[in-house]
Amino acid sequence: MRAYQDMVFSTAARLAGNDAQAEDISQEVFIRAYEHFSDLRGSGTAGGWLKTVTTNLALNYLNRYRKRWRLFSEMRSAAALDDEDCAEIEWQVPDTLLADLGAEQRCALVESALLCLPDHQRLPLVMYHFEDLSYQEIAIKLNVSLPKVKTDIRRARAALFAKLESSSAARDALDENPT
Amino acid sequence: MIKRTEIDEKLERLLQQELRALPLRRAPSSLESRVFGELARRAALPWWRRSFAKWPMGPRVVFVLLCVALMGATFLGGVSAVVGVRSLDEVGALLLSWLQPALVVMASAGGLAALLVRLIPPLWIYAGLAVGAMLYVMLFGLGAAAYRMLYRPALAGNK
Repeated sequence: MRAYQDMVFSTAARLAGNDAQAEDISQEVFIRAYEHFSDLRGSGTAGGWLKTVTTNLALNYLNRYRKRWRLFSEMRSAAALDDEDCAEIEWQVPDTLLADLGAEQRCALVESALLCLPDHQRLPLVMYHFEDLSYQEIAIKLNVSLPKVKTDIRRARAALFAKLESSSAARDALDENPT
Repeated sequence: MIKRTEIDEKLERLLQQELRALPLRRAPSSLESRVFGELARRAALPWWRRSFAKWPMGPRVVFVLLCVALMGATFLGGVSAVVGVRSLDEVGALLLSWLQPALVVMASAGGLAALLVRLIPPLWIYAGLAVGAMLYVMLFGLGAAAYRMLYRPALAGNK
């Protein structure tokens, strides 16, 4: 358990966006692993099994508690979403990001920016960049359309980039004028 | 202006680099004790309070047989209620005769409902349907208001 608990907790926390929920999910994952201990012992795929179970449990957990509000939270029409998506990105993307920060500060900043994203953007983004799932696989897992997954991931990247840029700019301003 | 696809690809590469560089987060120290505590709690439960898959074979078979019998009885009861108590006698379901009082009550309730439907003027039925629809819309509105006022701010607060 000790060998995998950080991986399981990280996966759950990044998907759920909440440490308390991530701990509940991690607990359930290890209880299931205990139930399948005979299959997993000595298996080289234990890590992959744990990651898959964590992802599925996190998605179930989020669905269970948010399904009742889905009707209201997804009332905006698809047409409105498409219109928003047509807007061109006006900013430039630099070659490096947060290069002036130390590794620890940088990680903390990226983690906190990630947790600030709304669920419908953070989930596909985490699944794409951390779980290496394709757009199609994410669409199936989240039970949404392929264009919606692409749009949400694109917006999530833009929002994450904007948050990191603004944090970096605020930090620079603070460094220049500490008073 | 740079093409959107170029910006997207560059941003994807940049964020992929940043996100994949993140180390694993350290699991809380309480996780291990929570898992072992929960395993001990579940192990201490009697078999009938565990999930069905963990029940001993005997009780599982009995439970399945009981469910099948109950489903059969319900089906027969439903059929006899629709066809009528007399036809139940005709099919020779003498073994189910203990169900007859219940079937009589069900048939009477059905007859009463049919009588009421005939007695109530159609206008009242339409008005009742309209009131029901209005209440449904009100419930929907209250749900939307509750979502906006209670759930969404709480969600934003958790972030």
